[in-house]
Amino acid sequence: MSEKGFLENGFIIDLSNAKSAADIILELSDILDLPDAKGKNICLKLNDIDLNKSQIMSINSLISSMGSTLAFVSTNSNTTKDSAESLDIKISELKNEIEVQELDESTPEADEEDNEYSTQSYETLDYEDLEEEEEENEIEELKEAEILLEDLGELDEITVEVSDEEALTETVSYPSYSEDDELEEEKPMEEKEEEKEKSENEDTSKLPTLYLRQNLRSGQTMSYDGNILLVGDTNPGSEIIAKGDITVWGVLGGIAHAGARGNETATIRALKLNAIQLRISGCYARRPDTDNIPYIQRSNQFIPEEAMIENNEIIIHKINEID
Amino acid sequence: MSGRVIVITSGKGGVGKTTTSANIGTALAKAGQKVVLIDTDIGLRNLDLLLGLENRIVYTIVDVVEERCKLKQALVKDKKNPNLNLLAAAQTRDKSALSQEHLKSICDELKEEYDFILVDCPAGIEQGFQNAVAGATEAIVVTTPEMSAVRDADRIIGLLEAKEEIESYKLLLNRVRPSMIQSNDMMSVEDVVDILSCGLIGIIPEDTGIITSTNKGEPIVNDEKALAGMAYQNVAKRILGEEVEFLNLEEPKSFVEKIKNFFTKLFGKEQG
Repeated sequence: MSEKGFLENGFIIDLSNAKSAADIILELSDILDLPDAKGKNICLKLNDIDLNKSQIMSINSLISSMGSTLAFVSTNSNTTKDSAESLDIKISELKNEIEVQELDESTPEADEEDNEYSTQSYETLDYEDLEEEEEENEIEELKEAEILLEDLGELDEITVEVSDEEALTETVSYPSYSEDDELEEEKPMEEKEEEKEKSENEDTSKLPTLYLRQNLRSGQTMSYDGNILLVGDTNPGSEIIAKGDITVWGVLGGIAHAGARGNETATIRALKLNAIQLRISGCYARRPDTDNIPYIQRSNQFIPEEAMIENNEIIIHKINEID
Repeated sequence: MSGRVIVITSGKGGVGKTTTSANIGTALAKAGQKVVLIDTDIGLRNLDLLLGLENRIVYTIVDVVEERCKLKQALVKDKKNPNLNLLAAAQTRDKSALSQEHLKSICDELKEEYDFILVDCPAGIEQGFQNAVAGATEAIVVTTPEMSAVRDADRIIGLLEAKEEIESYKLLLNRVRPSMIQSNDMMSVEDVVDILSCGLIGIIPEDTGIITSTNKGEPIVNDEKALAGMAYQNVAKRILGEEVEFLNLEEPKSFVEKIKNFFTKLFGKEQG
């Protein structure tokens, strides 16, 4: 249970009952999902819980991916204080009483808790206002980059960042990064539909391409707002999702989704197409049951194949059969 | 209608929870019951492989709780038996993607329409276990006749007893090797039952067929000749309230004896 306070464009989230970093992230993603929680300067109220630097970093990136900023942290734990300070996050004391406006969801008891919020945090929030405008621009950019895929429900796997070095590393999410999966959040429907029209059937050769040399193992997801060229294998249980084409120089054994934002001209090609499922735009094809052997049959004689949409169905050609 | 929600758990990994879930689920479906298998092992899903349904999964349980799809859409029908449905786990997430409330509400919703909801529990006693147990009212504790597995089963039974929602729990002894028991190299069924003082719902013999069946994605109950398959079928019958004698697992020495054994078993079953 957590109470939510509202301070002009600041936003206090009380997570003093949280027992672990996972609790915090779970609660936070729920709260930040509320329509009122976008573009706010967040003050996190934590009690005695000890958080290390990387935990705070992941909380911070969760908040920023939801379109808000982690302005400061209020805590009794020295460990948390130290790690927050090392990340340049301000520490708030939350002592004085200030009347706080409530969100619809707050419980009546929230009043008492809210009264503890301090003038100090209030002032700091004002200071943070200056950055607000910049912040909003950024959020709009992010929204524009949102993707559409409600048919297959893969939406939140696709990262919002486009084409800068940092985004490239972030697009690969390993199981241990599970919080990252929650980072990408769904945006309202209208935006998605507009976006769909824009990106439909765009020439994939004009999109940026992510070049990677690695294997993708079970549970790992790679998503990119452009084409993906992977030198290596993808194993069953992995997912590879691209706005444009997917090319695997190796065995494609997991799930591959090309044209994930609705581009039907996207293609998937691999030295060995052994995918559990192929998805292009809204079309979907699965591996025949007869071949449904859970291990990849390695072979020295790969037959390069390419999958594309023809008459609303996914068709697989041998590469040398295409003119 | 209110179906039964049974969690299949063990504490220790590798004792055969998933194999047991797949086989009991298939056996119950073959007996005409409407069954849903829920895989709660998020991040390390296997149940879909054992059933050979890996290539059909579009939505997972995490998509259901995060409301990207309806519960109905996420149920994958079995290739052979339309009574059998799978609610798969997500592979690219971890256990924190689910909570006990999620499981409870999913089980409550499924109960309305299905006779049996079998929850395949992940190994361990942490959040994954707590989630899996949350919606269940009955439990099957899987163990093998090894000290470590029995210890862990004991721990699990303690945890299950502490849960008010769990009305009954039964023991399933897996990978029993009668020849090793005879030569005093393995704990006997009686030893295990003694230690755990828990009602027995099945004894499954060690069977190399399990490995092939896993690789093929075809539960061993579909193989009428396999001893392990028969044992699982009997477990399903006991779940349905029939009284079935435990299989005679003593390995017959000659081919003729094997056949003789098979017929006496068949005969015995008809009488029971």
